Amino acid sequence: MIMLAALLLSGCLQTDDRTTIVVQRFFGECGAVYGTSTDVATAESECGILMTMINAFEAANPDVRVKINVVAWPGYPQLSAQFAAGDPPDLVTMHQSVISDYQARGLLDPMDGLLAQAGITAEDFTAAGRAGVIKDGQIYAMPWDTVGGLFHINTALMAEAGLMREGRPILPESPEQLLDHARHFRAATGKPYLIQAQVNDPATHVRNLYTYLLAQDAQIFPDARTIRINTPRAREIVKLLRTIHADGLTTRSQDFSAATQAFTNGEGGIFPVGTWMIGPYEEEARTPGRPLYNSYAVMPYPSLYGRPAAFVDGHAWIMPKRKRSDPELRAISRFLGFLAERNYDWTRTGHLPAFKSVLDLPQFEALPHRGDIAAMAATGGQLPAYVQRQSAIQGLLAEEIEAAVTGLKPVDTALEDAERRVNELLSQML
Amino acid sequence: MIGPRSGSTWQGYAFVGPFVALYCFLLIYPLFMGIEISFNRADLFGNREFVGLENYRRLFADPIFHQAVATTFKLTLLIVPTLTVITLLLALALNRATRTAGVLRGVFFSSSVLSVTILTLIWRFVLTPDAGLIAKLLGVFGWEPIPFLSDPDLTVPALAIATVWWSLGLPMMLFLAGLQQIPGDIYEAAALDRASRWTTFWKVTLPSLRGVLILVIMLQTAAQLQIFGQAQLLTSGGPSGRSRPIVLYIYELAFGRWELGYAIAAAEVLFLLVLVITALQYWAVSRTKADR
Repeated sequence: MIMLAALLLSGCLQTDDRTTIVVQRFFGECGAVYGTSTDVATAESECGILMTMINAFEAANPDVRVKINVVAWPGYPQLSAQFAAGDPPDLVTMHQSVISDYQARGLLDPMDGLLAQAGITAEDFTAAGRAGVIKDGQIYAMPWDTVGGLFHINTALMAEAGLMREGRPILPESPEQLLDHARHFRAATGKPYLIQAQVNDPATHVRNLYTYLLAQDAQIFPDARTIRINTPRAREIVKLLRTIHADGLTTRSQDFSAATQAFTNGEGGIFPVGTWMIGPYEEEARTPGRPLYNSYAVMPYPSLYGRPAAFVDGHAWIMPKRKRSDPELRAISRFLGFLAERNYDWTRTGHLPAFKSVLDLPQFEALPHRGDIAAMAATGGQLPAYVQRQSAIQGLLAEEIEAAVTGLKPVDTALEDAERRVNELLSQML
Repeated sequence: MIGPRSGSTWQGYAFVGPFVALYCFLLIYPLFMGIEISFNRADLFGNREFVGLENYRRLFADPIFHQAVATTFKLTLLIVPTLTVITLLLALALNRATRTAGVLRGVFFSSSVLSVTILTLIWRFVLTPDAGLIAKLLGVFGWEPIPFLSDPDLTVPALAIATVWWSLGLPMMLFLAGLQQIPGDIYEAAALDRASRWTTFWKVTLPSLRGVLILVIMLQTAAQLQIFGQAQLLTSGGPSGRSRPIVLYIYELAFGRWELGYAIAAAEVLFLLVLVITALQYWAVSRTKADR
């Protein structure tokens, strides 16, 4: 009887001799479109390009199985739970600003040797990429890109509002001018000047605040345990965001997907969002009949305060610390090498490359709008490397700024609360 | 056939032993382990520093925790009475042996088999102000969409509505089971006394359902005090924490902020809240019973 059961059960087991590596990523789900595609060159969007790359890797490396685990952005609570349970994946997408959190607690494996096996050294990375992944003299991640906020602009609506000059959008040069432009735009087009993802998108307001504080060389984090956000400069920026909201110069009650769709449908003038939307919007701009057809431009955040600046970050591939066999390590090394060789394809999303060699490629220079956003490479800045818990801090700040912007709290109270909550978080770090 | 007394005792232990062992290992042991961790500043990765009652002191002074407690009570008060009344009415309407009633019982129960992810997807399609079902309907009349998922006054009711829709099944079935336990001769006696429908419901049906009613209220109160998934997936606790229940706050503290000791202190307080509230309900019911 037992033998019969064993015989029956053995038929249920499929032996797979391939070395398996578990890759955990955000960037969304697109299996319905790209589930089996290996054509990286024609794939669109972050998800599409990455998925086709992984499919192509599996096709080229039949001895390796890549098991994908897609997490909702940003996926850090899940990753933390996996670490706590002692079962983290092999490779994980991570924002460079978050790496120190895990590296400082000894949860990541250094990757110098593994990358060297794939023929990659720190010298291959861009300066921003190097700064993002090297901790205590060792490489703790393979940088994948540099990302930042941009103004995605509907030029047809801007022209209707008389805010174009010689084919280029006229952007404001001061907070007062921004309000003037926005009011004029609304009067001329009947549509809001800004489209903003203000619901369930903590990055939106925090990106704005960090950008314009960096523009004034404000010391947001004087040390690793202190934030200084309840300041006249921060109050001025948040009050501007509040006025934009209160005066109906922006869309309201939109989450990221609603705001993305609103811009695609031509429902507003400018969508301040990241580099990752260049690819999809450029596709819209090339499609006859679409509201954005021949009507799309992208520019860095305008300089409203101080000097031109941009708050930037980057994606990277980290390797959680865990025991791995030699074949698994070799498979991971091959996988990273395969991705690195295709960093150009990733930049079609709109992100800036993490590998210097891509910057010199003629096809990269020929990508749409790269000249328009080149300034970001020089003006982009991150928070100091000693600032840990940046993802959690972003959540706390976003909550309080949202309260201020929507009028649930006075600006002063919201910033006071934000400062208190972040300082308490930092004071509790072990 | 029942054996001698000592033999039956051992048999009894043998039957309940595995369950009790598992229960102790999976629930009682973690409960005490949690109490111990709550006296520490602890992160998710095993780092600990004893701080005594500091986490509890912080918690009682934490305005965000107060807000989460208030939101949880608001949700519970919106959901439990509504759910109890609706499911009782449904059970009364569907307590008949017809094919239509059978189909409708299945239809109303069907929402309960959905996972919380599917539930929130469905309600997002209904409530979202840009392309949601309600927004489209309002658009037909030229009215502005209502931001159910971002207006501070609407997010909690929106969560309550979604939860009531999701939770119809079990209480309805409990009421149906209770209704079917009521002996028919009581209704015949009421009919002979020419009792009206309302009088029959009030004097016969409702008192006979008392036990089930109490069970439904206690189960639902305990469940809604621990509401989590819908709030996390529909509103993320927003705007600005206005729809954040206690369990979502605990989740954020533990997995977002890595303050495990503090999160567990909040969990212990929630455990006490649930315990006290359900005990109070039980005590109130027992007292009423004794008074009779």
